[in-house]
Amino acid sequence: MKRNELQNNLAMTVVLISAAMLFVTLFMGYAVYRSSADVWPPMGVAKVSLWLPFLSTILISVSSWYCYQVRLSVAKNDLPAAKNQLWLTTVLGIAFMLAQSGLWFSMKNSGVFVTSGIFASVMYGFTWIHAVHVVLGLFALGYLRWVLRKPAGDMLQKTINVEKFWHFLGVVWVVMFFGLFVF
Amino acid sequence: MDFLNLSVSTSWWELSKPPLDISTNGHLIDSLFAYTTVLAVFYFILVCIGLFGFSFLYSYKRNKTPLYTYGNKKKHLLITAFIGAAVFLSVDLNITRLSNNDLLDVFWKWPNPKTEKVLRVEVMAQQWMWSFRYAGPDDQFGTADDIVTNNDLRVPTNTKILFHLTSKDVIHSFFVPNVRLKVDTIPGRVTRVWWDANIPGEYDIVCAEMCGTHHYMMKARLTVYSEEDFKGWMATSEKLAMNTNNPDDKNLAWGWKWEY
Amino acid sequence: MSGGYNEIHPEPTTFWSKYIISFDHKVIAKQFLWYGIAFLGIGGLMALLIRWTLAYPGEAFPVIGHLLFPNSAGIVPPDSYAMLFTMHGTIMIFYAITPILIGAFGNYCIPLMIGARDMAFPMLNMLSFWFAFLSGVVLLASLFLPLGAAAGGWTSYPTLSTMIGSPGAGQTLWCVAIFLFGVSSTMGAVNYVTTVITLRAPGMGYFDMPLTVWGLWLTAILNAIFVPVLGAGVILLTLDRVMGTTFFLAGASATSGSGDPVLFQHVFWIFGHPEVYILILPAWGIVSDLLSFFSRKPAFGAKATALSMTSVSVLSTIVYGHHMFTTQMSPLLTQSFMTLTMTISIPSAIFFANWLGTIWKGSIRFDSPMLFSLGVVFVFGLGGLTGLHLGTVTTDLYLHDTYFVVGHFHYTMAASVLLGGYAGIYFWFPKMFGRMMNETMAKIHFWGTMIPLNGIFFGMLMVGYGGMHRRIYNPFVYDSLKRLMPINEMITVSAILMGAFQIIFVINFLWSLYKGKKAPNNPWNVGTLEWTIPSPPVHHNYDVIPVVKCGPHEFGNPNLKTGRDFQYQTEELVQGPV
Repeated sequence: MKRNELQNNLAMTVVLISAAMLFVTLFMGYAVYRSSADVWPPMGVAKVSLWLPFLSTILISVSSWYCYQVRLSVAKNDLPAAKNQLWLTTVLGIAFMLAQSGLWFSMKNSGVFVTSGIFASVMYGFTWIHAVHVVLGLFALGYLRWVLRKPAGDMLQKTINVEKFWHFLGVVWVVMFFGLFVF
Repeated sequence: MDFLNLSVSTSWWELSKPPLDISTNGHLIDSLFAYTTVLAVFYFILVCIGLFGFSFLYSYKRNKTPLYTYGNKKKHLLITAFIGAAVFLSVDLNITRLSNNDLLDVFWKWPNPKTEKVLRVEVMAQQWMWSFRYAGPDDQFGTADDIVTNNDLRVPTNTKILFHLTSKDVIHSFFVPNVRLKVDTIPGRVTRVWWDANIPGEYDIVCAEMCGTHHYMMKARLTVYSEEDFKGWMATSEKLAMNTNNPDDKNLAWGWKWEY
Repeated sequence: MSGGYNEIHPEPTTFWSKYIISFDHKVIAKQFLWYGIAFLGIGGLMALLIRWTLAYPGEAFPVIGHLLFPNSAGIVPPDSYAMLFTMHGTIMIFYAITPILIGAFGNYCIPLMIGARDMAFPMLNMLSFWFAFLSGVVLLASLFLPLGAAAGGWTSYPTLSTMIGSPGAGQTLWCVAIFLFGVSSTMGAVNYVTTVITLRAPGMGYFDMPLTVWGLWLTAILNAIFVPVLGAGVILLTLDRVMGTTFFLAGASATSGSGDPVLFQHVFWIFGHPEVYILILPAWGIVSDLLSFFSRKPAFGAKATALSMTSVSVLSTIVYGHHMFTTQMSPLLTQSFMTLTMTISIPSAIFFANWLGTIWKGSIRFDSPMLFSLGVVFVFGLGGLTGLHLGTVTTDLYLHDTYFVVGHFHYTMAASVLLGGYAGIYFWFPKMFGRMMNETMAKIHFWGTMIPLNGIFFGMLMVGYGGMHRRIYNPFVYDSLKRLMPINEMITVSAILMGAFQIIFVINFLWSLYKGKKAPNNPWNVGTLEWTIPSPPVHHNYDVIPVVKCGPHEFGNPNLKTGRDFQYQTEELVQGPV
């Protein structure tokens, strides 16, 4: 099954543009909400503590770095190294999900429920939507592990495809981190 | 099958005309529609001449040898570009200019109660009725002497009516066909429209945004009075309001302040 | 450019792999075709139920009324009516037009017309169909819920579409179905875009592609970019409904803090306006090609038509606000949208001129695909021009949410796409099924569709201009609409008539599948690549990947000496004095 590089790059570009448009729409809505609010967070709502979002950012960034290492290893045909790095990528991805869960629980404990108005809607809603895509990404990493079980001609291309999606998730999170939590 | 019963005086052409225009500015909309139609019909006739004419003249039976051209020579491109430009300039920019002028000079020129005869009315839309509030003798909304009517809007002639509208639940749309204007009523937001009505009579107000099962029944009546008759109705209503409104009733106020 | 996924691989052998989980674009295309035609029938039946209720309120729907509405003596009740027009719109747009024009024609025509053996990603293609199938199941399931299906219009504006306006699971399932369909569309878009770019046969530059492929390719690009916008919108609406968020809640119901209902409208129409162009682009492409094929001369200004279709696609992204003039956006925004909307006239006028230029001095054969294509020119011309009345803000303040809008979009979206779709079906049926359809029945079908269609939708323009607003269950409630009721009835009678004539198409289609005359490789004497191979093609389409030497519209070249009046795209262009 030969699939040339251009086809894969094009297809992934379209996939990422599509996925990006979903998040762009969310951010457009966010811009509307913030620009029409007198003060943000709205009156009486405390800003969310930065420490769990910051930890999430670190976790997903390091995970992306390891994913990049996976690709370098596969390019050198070093499958054992690739499998180790893929394991680390995945573990850090799961840790990111745990940090996110921690974030949601900490918001709940400080009285910000999903039903608590537009600020909470944005915080929970956007991070949940991102989290669902991270779950899809974890499945993709699992698929990649299966692809790497023994050498094959297209394993580099498949690695690159999954790597792109994983980095995309990281980029979306970083934008959310700065847009929703920092500013 | 009633529709087969056509009589000379009520041709479908007549029947499908918009309802009686009772406002000062409705004619702007009617005339722009007519103008646009004339231009559109002109170009459509050209298309039809091409479509039917070429189908007739160049059918296989009549024309055995087609013209072998890609239509990409300079003269062809110039003609098509000319057509595109002609349509845009003669129709699009033309009607845009007219509509824009009407918006700036008329529809978006909000009446000023300090310098003109203006009657302010607040409109509350809900599933599935219209409520109208007049300020009453004290000219303040949200006070005990306000007159609130349900599905019953009464206005005088020769006066600009300035509406501020909102909705209690879902999006509705305040449409008075005889005045040619509509504006959406949106929960959490105040929209506004102004118009006048110069021919006394009774007319339909309808809801023009799907708002649920009984959207089709969300009808109100617009009664246009002469100025004198309106004063009479107002006086009776004010007396009634003063007698029946309880100033401590929290439901009296609709909760939004009139702001220009 | 080739070298992609183009090997000959073994044919599937089991029933399951041949017809159910098939990776063959031709089979997937047919799956989409059955699926789309089935939903076209369901959507059409809903339309008849709506039209019956509008013309004869209080009368039971004939024949099946009592079956469908046993609790109201066969009469459509008001809440069901709302579900009917909601589902009619949803089904026609997402479950009929999209599967037939984009799913079926896209899948069938793109690989064949560019000389490829399949799409770039056959498995993704298969998944795209089954996601669409799942979406259809979810949508139809919602009809059987205790509180019924979604009933807030296909546009499902909040706050009507939130829990306060639409309790129950119907609207939520609608959101889920739409999201699943969006996933299917996106998968298809990835395939179509990649396939057109990478699997064109050697020698086929972009402007050597048939315009059908251009239309489908531009549609896929718009789909990839804008379907996720709707996806985001329905996710947020679902969160509002299910999790208690307040993205679109405001007013008395937003007890915990408000969002913005109008934001949904922005999100919806940022998707919605490109969507209507997504729906029409394949038909424009098909018509552009068929007018040339049946006039036996090259498509006039083919490159300009391709570029005009591209500019319309680009412009479609910046005009969406014309759906929202009555929500009172800022004056600047309102004026900008009005002006930008007008610019779409320019490329539209250009390819209209090119269509007429194509048939000008042709040698026209009036086979059914040609009749339907000419029909598209007529109805899209008429419908497109009524867009002018809606594009100017002041006239729109009167016409918005009246039947004038309904007439406009049915002319441009329903009539044009339906006629274009029929043109395509009649044209490619021989290639798809190896048999010819009955031409006499096809011509009767054409006139029986074309004439009543104008009755229906021109009638709607008339009653809309007369002030009849839309989505109402019983127009007789209004004295001011009484005078329009004869026209209203005429619309219904036309609809019933048009519906009846579609039966001729169904009979023709089904009969021809089994008993139609066997089709030769090239019954229409057309030079695009799919006509160089047998009808139907073998599993891998091309034994040898063709090498393209000329354009897709090489008809009427006076230097041809082969006795044919056209050249196949694989033949060297015959030069000489013209």
